[in-house]
Amino acid sequence: MSQPSHDTFDAMAASYALGALDGDELAEFERHLREGCPRCAATLRESEETLAALARSMPPAIPPPQVREALLRRVAASPRARPSSRTSWIRWGVGTAAAAVAVAAFTGAYVATRYEARLGQMARETFAIRQRLEKNEAALREQLAFYSGAVDLLRDPATRVVTLRGAGPAPDAIGRLLWNEASGGHLFVAKLPPAPAGKTYELWTIVGTTPRPAGLFTVDASGRGSHRVATAPGAAVTGFAVSLEPEGGVQAPTGPIVLASSAR
Amino acid sequence: MAAEGAELIRKIAAGDTAAFARFYDRYAPLVYPLILRIVREPAEAADVLQDVFWEAWQRATDYDPARGTAEAWMVTRARSRAIDRVRSTRRRSDVFVASSGEDAASLPGEPVADPADRLEERRTVQSALERLPDAQREVIELAYYAGLTQTEIAERLKQPLGTVKTRIRLGLTRLRDIVKGTG
Repeated sequence: MSQPSHDTFDAMAASYALGALDGDELAEFERHLREGCPRCAATLRESEETLAALARSMPPAIPPPQVREALLRRVAASPRARPSSRTSWIRWGVGTAAAAVAVAAFTGAYVATRYEARLGQMARETFAIRQRLEKNEAALREQLAFYSGAVDLLRDPATRVVTLRGAGPAPDAIGRLLWNEASGGHLFVAKLPPAPAGKTYELWTIVGTTPRPAGLFTVDASGRGSHRVATAPGAAVTGFAVSLEPEGGVQAPTGPIVLASSAR
Repeated sequence: MAAEGAELIRKIAAGDTAAFARFYDRYAPLVYPLILRIVREPAEAADVLQDVFWEAWQRATDYDPARGTAEAWMVTRARSRAIDRVRSTRRRSDVFVASSGEDAASLPGEPVADPADRLEERRTVQSALERLPDAQREVIELAYYAGLTQTEIAERLKQPLGTVKTRIRLGLTRLRDIVKGTG
């Protein structure tokens, strides 16, 4: 008895998926669904996927662009809006915001809330953008000063270009150093692995056979780095080397040499 | 790919507006042609499209990936909103149609279209539907695109309701097999 009766529900499920079920049958089927019929739920799920696939084969039509704009405006103004989801407090915030909207709608303050939320969001965004811009600008200025210093050095006929070759733990590393006895130099390195945690790279100017500390530098993830080198007054520099040293640097090299100029 | 849609809905549920923009870019080109096909008026279709996505933004927390793909979720929503629109327009225009004794054979709510357009439309009708026997395709098209209920379809085709139900069921089963690639 239960088999033939479920067959009726199977037929209803098909019409229901198409939105074509009506009258008493619609009420009966919805009751049946509410009672929790896994078979009908599965049939509906599958029918919906099938009908969705049908939509994919429709002749294409381009959605009007103003709909996108209107929606994005509307969504940004919605009190739930967050620029990106990160932590669980956002979920809490969403809940709170949703509750706030419900209350506001009933008290007629909905519009005010919406605009306040939007203004608040805009202010936060503007602040974040300004901070980002200031940071970028400072970084760019620093880079520009560095490169224009390098260009000035290159213009000076007294400037030498010294090549540093990889050694020890960094055989592939390579460095070029623009060196001017009067105004100092610029070091550029490539293919140097980033220093491990707690370590840093230190440049040495060699005077005679004595290495003198000439500053600390780091490289980026791609192994590139650059470093402004101060002059070494009162001494003729004969070579350069880079070693891996404890963070903070040391006065005399202790770690392995990773880059060195050829002995002259 | 399907999981990506579900992930976007999860982010939308958390209020992520950028995820919503991506979600729109992904699913609007899918559902808009369907909405347009059902409501037929571009201005109305734009309206429905906006409603559908606004509802998705508001209801994202209800979405359960275990109950279907993001695509099915959106298509089902789009279809039912478009059909609601057609049905409410039809109720309004039925008053006119009844008194003016208009051609009862044209689809309710369907604007008069150039015969050449119709022809073009017929030619581009989706291949999956084309592979159904005519009798089954007809009932599915009337339900899917025109939003007719099974009783209305039976009346229009002057067929017993039982026959219409059987055709709907067989047609949908067949369609499922075709879409799955087993038909």
